[in-house]
Amino acid sequence: MNFIRTVIIALPKGFYTTLKHLFKKPVTRKYPYERREMAPRYRGKHYLERYDDGTERCVCCGLCAASCPADAIYMEGGETDNGERFAKVYEINLLRCIFCGFCEEACPEEAIFLGHEYEFSDDNRDSFIYTKEQMLANRPKEKPFKRIIRKVRRIF
Amino acid sequence: MSSADDNKVTLTIDGREVTVPRGMTVLEAAKSIGIEIPTFCWHPKLKPVGACRMCYVEIEKMPKLAVSCATEAMPGMVVHTDSDLVKQGRRAVLEFILLNHPLDCPTCDKGGECDLQDLTFAHGIDDSQFDFNKYRFIRDKKSTFDDYRLGPEIIRNQNRCILCYKCVRSNKEVFGEYDLGAFQRGNITEIDTGPGQQVDSIYSGNLVEICPVGALTNTDWRYNIRVWKTQKVNSICQYCADGCNLTLWKDRQKIYRATSRRNDAIDEGWICNRGRYGYQIANAEGRLTVPLIKRGERQENATWDEAIELIARRFKEIKDKKGGVCIGGLAYPGLDSASLYAFSKLFRTILNSNNVDFRIDYKMLPEEPGDLYTQITSRKFSIAGIENSDVVLVIGSNLINEHPITNLRVRKVVTQKGAKLYTLNPFATKSGDISTDEIIYRAGTVEALINGLCVSIVEQKLASDTVDASKLATRVEPNTVAQAAKISGVEADRIVGLAQALGEAKHITLITGELLSTSITRDAITAAIMNLALLCGMAENGQIGFLSKYANSKGAEKLGVMPLLSDSLIAEMKTLWGGYPEQKGLGADRMILSAKKEEIDALFVMGSDPMLCYPDGQFVREGIEKLDFLVVADLFETRTTQMADVVLPLSSIAEMSGDFVNLEGTVQHFDQAIKPLGQSMPGYDICNKIASALKEPLFESVARMQPDIMRLLLREENPEIQRELREVKTSVEQASGEYTVPLFVVDQAHHFAHLTERSKSLSAFCSEAHLELSPSMAEKLHAETGTLIRVESEVGKVILPVIISEHIDNDVAVVTRNFSANPVNDLQMRKQRVDYVRLTRVEEK
Amino acid sequence: MILNETSVAEIKEKMVRYPRRKSAILPALTVAYHQVGHLNDDIYDEIASIIDIPAVEIAEAATFYTMFPKHPVGKYLIQVCHNISCALLGADSLVHYLEEKLGIKKGETTPDNVFTLITVECLGSCASAPMMQINDQYYEFLTREKVDAILDELRKQA
Repeated sequence: MNFIRTVIIALPKGFYTTLKHLFKKPVTRKYPYERREMAPRYRGKHYLERYDDGTERCVCCGLCAASCPADAIYMEGGETDNGERFAKVYEINLLRCIFCGFCEEACPEEAIFLGHEYEFSDDNRDSFIYTKEQMLANRPKEKPFKRIIRKVRRIF
Repeated sequence: MSSADDNKVTLTIDGREVTVPRGMTVLEAAKSIGIEIPTFCWHPKLKPVGACRMCYVEIEKMPKLAVSCATEAMPGMVVHTDSDLVKQGRRAVLEFILLNHPLDCPTCDKGGECDLQDLTFAHGIDDSQFDFNKYRFIRDKKSTFDDYRLGPEIIRNQNRCILCYKCVRSNKEVFGEYDLGAFQRGNITEIDTGPGQQVDSIYSGNLVEICPVGALTNTDWRYNIRVWKTQKVNSICQYCADGCNLTLWKDRQKIYRATSRRNDAIDEGWICNRGRYGYQIANAEGRLTVPLIKRGERQENATWDEAIELIARRFKEIKDKKGGVCIGGLAYPGLDSASLYAFSKLFRTILNSNNVDFRIDYKMLPEEPGDLYTQITSRKFSIAGIENSDVVLVIGSNLINEHPITNLRVRKVVTQKGAKLYTLNPFATKSGDISTDEIIYRAGTVEALINGLCVSIVEQKLASDTVDASKLATRVEPNTVAQAAKISGVEADRIVGLAQALGEAKHITLITGELLSTSITRDAITAAIMNLALLCGMAENGQIGFLSKYANSKGAEKLGVMPLLSDSLIAEMKTLWGGYPEQKGLGADRMILSAKKEEIDALFVMGSDPMLCYPDGQFVREGIEKLDFLVVADLFETRTTQMADVVLPLSSIAEMSGDFVNLEGTVQHFDQAIKPLGQSMPGYDICNKIASALKEPLFESVARMQPDIMRLLLREENPEIQRELREVKTSVEQASGEYTVPLFVVDQAHHFAHLTERSKSLSAFCSEAHLELSPSMAEKLHAETGTLIRVESEVGKVILPVIISEHIDNDVAVVTRNFSANPVNDLQMRKQRVDYVRLTRVEEK
Repeated sequence: MILNETSVAEIKEKMVRYPRRKSAILPALTVAYHQVGHLNDDIYDEIASIIDIPAVEIAEAATFYTMFPKHPVGKYLIQVCHNISCALLGADSLVHYLEEKLGIKKGETTPDNVFTLITVECLGSCASAPMMQINDQYYEFLTREKVDAILDELRKQA
C-alpha cells in the first residue's frame, strides 16, 4: 500500500505540476533586461528633494537621525552664505539602514524620501556610506504632471 | 501669634498646607513643596516682573487669575494651580505668545530644549484662532528671517522672542551692564543694543543661556548640532580660581558648548565668557599631538619612547654629575591636582630636588618659608560669605577681570543688600562704578595709604579692642593721615571717611588681587593689610580674601608645589613618600636666575609659558637660553616650546578627569569629556613615564594615588593670626628720568593666561594686545582708538594700539599680556616695584 | 551739542524735583523734543550725560512713546489712534482716507513738509472714538467731512 501511495500516485502527480508549468507564463524575469515596476509606496534607496529654485530642502534639523531606529544617519549642520541652516554633512549608512521609512515620516521639511531604487551592491563597505551629493543626484526625474499631483498631495 | 511666627505665613496650595517665610511669592511657595508652575520670565535670581503671564494660578476670593511669580504668599490663601480655569488661562497665554512666534523649530537652535516648545506640547496647543499673518521683523530684505548680530558672539532673531525680558533684566540687575534694551512697544518690541553699543561684556554669554526660546543664540553652538545628540559632562572651569561649575556638551570627539551648572555656593548659575567659550581650546587648531625632539635647529616629530628615553638620559646625567639641585620644574597652576602632585613627587622623590614652583607670574618670591602672605592665603574664604558683609573693601584688584564671578557676588551684596563697596586701586576699574568711594592711589604707595587708614581708625577711637593699638604710631611709617595722604595722592578726608566706614562696619570682606600678590613688596603690603584687619576686627567679624589667581593655585599650594614648605607639610610628605630632599629649593624667579648663572642645567616646564607670562621678558629669555636641557609639555606651540629640546603634547582639562581647588579651598571634581587628542597625555602620565624611565613609577594608577592627594588637599591649615601690629615702613620709589608713566600689565577681560588666545570665540571679542589709556592721557598723545603707540621702558619697547578707557582717569598705561604676538613682559623688570614707561606716538609715514 | 543752554538748564532744573534720577527721563525728553522737534540717538546720549543714566534706558523710554517722533516731521504731526475703540469705529478707513487725501503713506511726510501721518497707540480718548491728535490738539468723533474741514483749516494756516 505504502508503495502505491508514494510511487504510483505521488510521482505522476508531481510530474503533472511540472508539466503544467511548461505551458504557463513564468513568474521569474530576465532580470537585468526586464525590471519590475515597484509599488508606489515601495521604500528603496533614499533621495533628497530640492525646492523649485534649486536650493536644498534639508535644513539639518536632525529629526530623521533622531527617529532612525538603526542609527544609520549622521549629519553636521552649517551656515550658508545668507545665514540659513543647511546640512554640511549628511550621510546614510545603507548597510545599517532597515528601510523603515521613519526618516521620511519625521522630516518636517519634506526633504528626504525613500525612492524606488533597490539595486545597490558593491564590493566594499565604504561605498555604502551614502553622501548628500549622491542623495541629491538620486532624485528621480518625474514627469511634470506627477510633480503637480505630489504638490496637490502636499497641500492636503 | 508669637513673634517667631510673624515671619512665616501658612497657605494652602492644591489642598496642601505649606508654611513659608513672609515675602516669598506663591510660585516659590509652590516650588518648595514640589508643585511645578510653568514660567518663561521668572528666574530664581532675578526680581519678578510678570511679563509672560504663564504662571497663572487661581487664588480663591481673587476676581481673576493671579500671576504667581509676582503675588506674595499671604496667610490663609487658598491656591489652585491645576484647575480648569488655570488650564484655560495658560492655554490662552500660550496661544497669545505663539501669535507671532515662527514655527521654525527645525532650524532653530533651541529646538529640543525650548521652554516654549515643551509647554506648547504639554498644553496640547495645535491650532490658533487667529488667522491673520504673523508680524515679521525683517532687517535684510533678501532674507526671510531676521538674524542680527548684537555682539561678537550673540545673534538675535527677534521673531522668536517672546518678550520675557530675562536678558535685559539680568544684564541690568545682575551684571550691571547697560548695553542691551527693549525698544518700541507692543508686538513690535525689539531687544536691541543701546545706541552705538554692542553686547560684548564679559557676562554676555549668560544672556544666551537664560533665553527661554531661540531668540538669542551664540555662534559657537549655532547650527552645529542638535541638543539631543549631545552628552552632558560635568566639568569645572579651568581658568580663574572662582571654580565655576560647568556642563560641557559633547558628541563623539568634539565639545560643542559649555553652560553653567548652578552652584549657589560659588557661581549662582552665572559664568563669564572665558568659562563659556574657553572650552574651545580643546578642539582648537594647532594642538600638539606628537612629541617633538630638537635635532640640530629643527624640532622633529618623535615617538614617546624616544622622547622619554632622551629626557631620562639627560636628567640622569645632570643628576649624577651635579645633583638634583640642578634640575628645576615649573608647573602651570591650572593643571589638575593629580598632575601637580605627580610633578612634585617626581622632583622630590626621583630627582631629589626641591626646585618646583607654580608661581611663574610673581615678580620676586620670598626666600624663607612661612612668610606672612602664604600664611594669610591659606586662611578660609567663602564667596557666599561675602553676602554677610556690610562693607566690602577691594585692594589692588581689577576684580571684574580677575574674578568675574566673585565680582558678581560683590555686586549683589552692594546693589541688593545695601552693603558699601570701597575700592583701593592704582587705576579706576569697572567694579568701581557701584562703589561708595573709589580711591585711586599713586602707583606703588598702597602701604602708605593703608597705614594712613590704620592711623585714622585709631585716631577716631574705632579700633577693635582685641589688639593693642597704642603702639601703632611707632611701628608704621608714615604715621599721620596727612603724610599718608601726601604720599599716596589721596585726599585726607577720603582716608578719614573710609577709616570711619571700616571702623563702624559690622562685618567686612577684604579682597586683594593680583596687583598685590605679584608685587615685590608683597610682604610689606600684607603686613599693612594685617594691621588694618586687626584694627577693624576682621579676624572675628569678617573675612580676608587674598584671592589666588589660577584654577588650581590653591591646590598647588596645598599639594606643596612650592620650594619652601611649612614644617607640618614636609612632615606629611615624609610619611607619604618616606623621604624628602634636604636642600633648600628655589622659587620660580630664583630658578631662572640660577639658570642665567648656569647653576641650573635642566628645566621641566609643564603647561606654563614663562616666556610670555614671567614679568621680566629679557631676564627670562636670557635664563632659558642658557639652559642645557629644556623640556616643555603644553597644549600648543608657545614661545617657550619653541626654545625647548623636547616638547611633549599635554592633554587639555576636557580630556581627563581630576579635581581643582578653587579660591575658597573647595575641592571640585570634573569628568573627562573626550579622549586625549592624538598622542597627548595628561600631566600625571607624563610625570609617571619619566619617573619610570629614571627609577620607578610614581603610582600604579591614578585612582591609587587619589587618597594621598586628598589627604594633602583636605588638610586644614588655618594658622592663628598673631594679634600684634606689625612694622610697616614705606619706601617710595619715584619715577625717574624720561620714563614717568606707571605701567600695569593685566589680563584682557576676555582672556586668561596664555591659553585662551586659541579660542575662536574669545578671539572674536579681542585678539590682540592693547594699551588702555585714560581719555585725558590719550588727548595728550593725540591718540584715538586704534592709534599705534610706542611703549618704551628702560629694557624694552612694544608698539600697541590704543583703547580709550571708560573708567581709567589718571595717568597710567594698562597693557594686556595674553597674546603671544605681543610679549609685553619685555617692558617689565623683576626688581622694579612699579615699571615706568614712556609713551610716544608712532608717526605714520 | 544739539541741546542748547536753556534746554540743558531746564532739564537740570526738572531733574532735582524727583527723588530718583530715572524719573527725570520723560521730562528731559519732552524738553529735548520741544527744542529739536524730534529725537535721535545723539540726543539720548546727551540727556544720558546730563542726568547720569545709561543711554539705553533713555532710548527705551523714548522709543516706547509714540508721542516722540524719532525722525524729522512736518509742521503738523497727525497721530491717528488705532487701538480697539477707534479701530471698531473705523480708524483704519480713516487712515486710508488720510493717506489718499494727503497722497502719502503711513509714516511719511508730504513733500511740502506740512503734514506727517502716523498711527499711534491709545491716546485715552476712547469715549470720543475715532480720534486723532495733531501736534498737541485732540480732534474727536471724526468723520470724513470733519477731517476735510480740519485739513483745509490747517493748510490755510501753514
